[in-house]
Amino acid sequence: MRIVIHTLMIVLLLACAGEAANGKDTAPQFKTAEAKHFTQAEGVELSPAFGDYFYAELREELKKAKLAGEVIGEGETVDDADAPQSIVITGTITEYKNGSVVKSVLIGFGAGMRSLKMDADVLRRSDNQHLDVVHVQVKIDPRWNEKTMAKFAAHQLVKEMKEALKSQAK
Amino acid sequence: MLAGQLQGKLPASPGCARRPHRETPMTLSVRFTVSLLLSLFLLLFHTSAAGQDPKPKPENTISVRLGDPVPAQKFANPPKFWISDVIDRSGNPQPMLVLKERGGIFLDRQPTVIVREALEESLRAANLLATDANSADLVLKIYLFQFGLAQGSQLDLFGKVEFTVMVKNPKSGESLEVKAAGTSIAKTAMMKKNIQKNVQDDVEESLRDAVRNFVRGQQLKDAVGALRKNMDATPAAAPNP
Repeated sequence: MRIVIHTLMIVLLLACAGEAANGKDTAPQFKTAEAKHFTQAEGVELSPAFGDYFYAELREELKKAKLAGEVIGEGETVDDADAPQSIVITGTITEYKNGSVVKSVLIGFGAGMRSLKMDADVLRRSDNQHLDVVHVQVKIDPRWNEKTMAKFAAHQLVKEMKEALKSQAK
Repeated sequence: MLAGQLQGKLPASPGCARRPHRETPMTLSVRFTVSLLLSLFLLLFHTSAAGQDPKPKPENTISVRLGDPVPAQKFANPPKFWISDVIDRSGNPQPMLVLKERGGIFLDRQPTVIVREALEESLRAANLLATDANSADLVLKIYLFQFGLAQGSQLDLFGKVEFTVMVKNPKSGESLEVKAAGTSIAKTAMMKKNIQKNVQDDVEESLRDAVRNFVRGQQLKDAVGALRKNMDATPAAAPNP
């Protein structure tokens, strides 16, 4: 019995180690990724600082996700040889609802939440071909500030983008 | 004193149970006065302490440096740049104060000096820096709009460096504007020492990002192309009046 348990444990450990090694060794899918400031649709009332902060968070999340070897700033040049393997991320914030603390407290169950909807396009740098379109909706407690919402939105956007691009590659 | 006077005026009673009641008004008033004075003192102390701005000391001063120079983009006909001026346009009355909370965090040099140094290092490393203003093909005048921490979520530190460069051709007098910005997000911390380290890393990273955005930017490439094109065209046009 002991031998069986020990063997099982070793097999499990080896499997986990293999998975971890696979995860670490995977090369980034793209050479460079450039995130641009997202535009705001008409009627969206967010502070100008939100755009800057979201842009910074998006770049940070792209670095963490290791989607590309290098996350470059807006408007930076890329070598012509790297352009086919580079992406540009543009997007629009389509809807923003400020939410209501009163509704959130009195009703609960998601009522009165602060929400944000955005569409992001992933384009190939060399020919501007659409590689992916991502729609994201984030809901947070209305007592939290919009910067926190930007953080969640950037995280959600990159997560969905990575999954979609990976499934396309397969 | 008051207790004694009261004692004298009031008829003597057999028991001593009333005595504490007679002393109560005086004891209460003294206690009230002492408490009031103490509260006032504490309030004044707190107000004066809150009103004081943090002072730069060696233990709360950070040194922001670029580290390795940022590799610049390659130009077909590499020009020589010269940085004439770096002007602070942030409107910040305390440009060296990066963080006001927790006793303050200060920069060891003016942001304008740090930005100039960072740009000069990167241009020099790419052999794009002229030895003096006279030998420069293009003169750069930098307007610094933001340097340090910007307002982010309370969960992290948001570093931001933003400047605009006027690229001027001294021969033709023509100039073009190039914008550059760098951002960085770093984790905040509980301990002062860690906060200081994170702030330093964050500001250094955003400075690096901004310098990179400038020296590798498409805007600079276009500006250099346009200004040099005009410069090349001017002497060719001159012999044919």
